[in-house]
Amino acid sequence: MLETRNLDKSFGAVHVTRNVSLKLERGERRVILGPNGAGKTTLFNQLVGELTPDSGSVHLAGEDVTALPVAKRARRGLSRSYQKNTLFDGLTVEENLGLAAAVHTGNATQLWSDSLAKPEVREIVDEVAEQVNLMPYIHAKVSEISYGVRRQLEVGVALATRPLVLLMDEPTSGVGPEMSKGFHDLLNNLPRDLTMLIIEHDMGLAFDVADTITVLNYGEVVFDGLPEAARGSKLLKDIYLGSWEDA
Amino acid sequence: MFRHTALRYAVLVLLASAALFQAFTAEYFGLEILTEILILAMLVLALDIVAGFGGMVSLCHGALMGMGAYAYAILSTTAGIAPPVAMAGAVALTGAIAWAIGAICSRSHGIYFIMATLAFGQMAYSYVFEAPIFGGDDGLGGISRLDLSFVGIDLNDSRSFALFCLASLGAIYGASVLILRSGLGRSLTGVMHNEQRMRALGLTVWRVKADVFGLSGMIAGLAGVLAAQHIMYISPGLLSWTVSGEALVVVILGGLGTLVGPLVGAAAFVVLKHELSAVTTYWHLVVGALLIAVVMSRANGIFGWIEARWGARIDRRLTDATRKPEAKEVLGDA
Ligand SMILES: Nc1ncnc2c1ncn2[C@@H]1O[C@H](COP(=O)(O)OP(=O)(O)OP(=O)(O)O)[C@@H](O)[C@H]1O
Ligand SMILES: [Mg+2]
Repeated sequence: MLETRNLDKSFGAVHVTRNVSLKLERGERRVILGPNGAGKTTLFNQLVGELTPDSGSVHLAGEDVTALPVAKRARRGLSRSYQKNTLFDGLTVEENLGLAAAVHTGNATQLWSDSLAKPEVREIVDEVAEQVNLMPYIHAKVSEISYGVRRQLEVGVALATRPLVLLMDEPTSGVGPEMSKGFHDLLNNLPRDLTMLIIEHDMGLAFDVADTITVLNYGEVVFDGLPEAARGSKLLKDIYLGSWEDA
Repeated sequence: MFRHTALRYAVLVLLASAALFQAFTAEYFGLEILTEILILAMLVLALDIVAGFGGMVSLCHGALMGMGAYAYAILSTTAGIAPPVAMAGAVALTGAIAWAIGAICSRSHGIYFIMATLAFGQMAYSYVFEAPIFGGDDGLGGISRLDLSFVGIDLNDSRSFALFCLASLGAIYGASVLILRSGLGRSLTGVMHNEQRMRALGLTVWRVKADVFGLSGMIAGLAGVLAAQHIMYISPGLLSWTVSGEALVVVILGGLGTLVGPLVGAAAFVVLKHELSAVTTYWHLVVGALLIAVVMSRANGIFGWIEARWGARIDRRLTDATRKPEAKEVLGDA
């Protein structure tokens, strides 16, 4: 469903993505682990087109999308959430979800009708609000909800484009362990055919949702396999204990 | 996204009543001032749509208005096309040019956007100034007003023309609200808040900006057509960047992104201009000081300041007390 081939990227002398090849099958839930600065976010940026790789290619549902701009990739079913909340602050939860759903349903450029009043938009808004537990806050403004709920909305907005592949950049970053756990239950309840690539800092939590695990270190894939294998990996323990145990 | 509040409705009713009162009771000079206000109000509505709701601070709206005026003058006078068709043609042409400007400038932001629109405006100004068909410095005269005699209205009468401008402004205000509340308007708000995210959601951002800029250009064009019909004579000065600057001052003085504020601003600006210029030739100093005071106070213009200070209280008093209170506290677990 989503594939990269020999992706490579440097910022000046800093080599942040080294020959990364990944392959996600339809419905696969893959977790990307790696210490700070390993190049996880930079990889996401190249997947969605916010950054251009120096070499290599990105394929979505069998099509080479490396040359496509961000919006076109998104319309082909690639959606992401950000490590740092990227929400529409003055708007309500419902309006935030509605903006995304409007783009998906082709209502975002309509002049003759209010997108949020369209049944197809409402349907997505309600469904996503249900999926990421936002129903109690649906009419609240972003400024009125807590940080943890905003993290849910961050993923909700990405989900409201009804993607084929959902990329989530540390969806639980900055929220307490209890809420993180809830968040992972929520991810587990998403439709099984949705392909997910999740950057996660916490290894324990990662095992909650992962079908497969990729570990990045200094921009390089140092592990690619099943969670059980990752758990026993000596290499992983070294990286893990070395730098991000206490994060 | 634009919302009407009780306060905004109240101010609209107040403005409309004052305009109607003036239109029916004033003599020639008062009617001229009223018409001037109504045309400026239309221009600043156009500007507020792009600047206040899309973050596109334009310094070419004066030029767009001028284009509308010149297009109407040429089409109706030189080309001899019937005024209603010439009006539609002028509005469509201005809209098309504005769409192109919006499309080209859509990638730039902030100061660069301002400069790019200024450059387009200045290009239009110098073209109109130099090209022989536009009459150069002398401008164009003998422009006729719309003929509504078939419904018994003589627009050559100042009172009728002022009422016609008021009706047009009302219609344009309604259209502006509809634009801002449409799917396109919502997307525009999304783009202003967070362009990168809208793109990541799959929106073709430049199209949204160009479409809205085009619609705004049509409104500015209509203001130009009315200005041409009002004075019945036009000169290149209409396209000068100072007209755009003045419109921006009015939008900021009134309250960016409130629609109602710029209407208040337009009325205040024109009245102030006429009252002060009768007393002193240095009236610009007073407007300048006022602008500085407003900007320094960090309020969103005069109307924005009223909204921030008394809006909630006035809304509460004006709306039904049974309406359920809004959630104010932070929701959700920390
Ligand atoms: N635009 C940029 N220009 C220069 N260097 C950059 C840029 N973006 C990222 N980097 C560098 O690339 C490296 C990888 O950054 P990236 O944000 O991808 O790491 P990460 O794995 O997401 O880390 P974290 O866990 O902290 O989010 C870092 O050294 C970072 O400083
Ligand atoms: Mg990161």
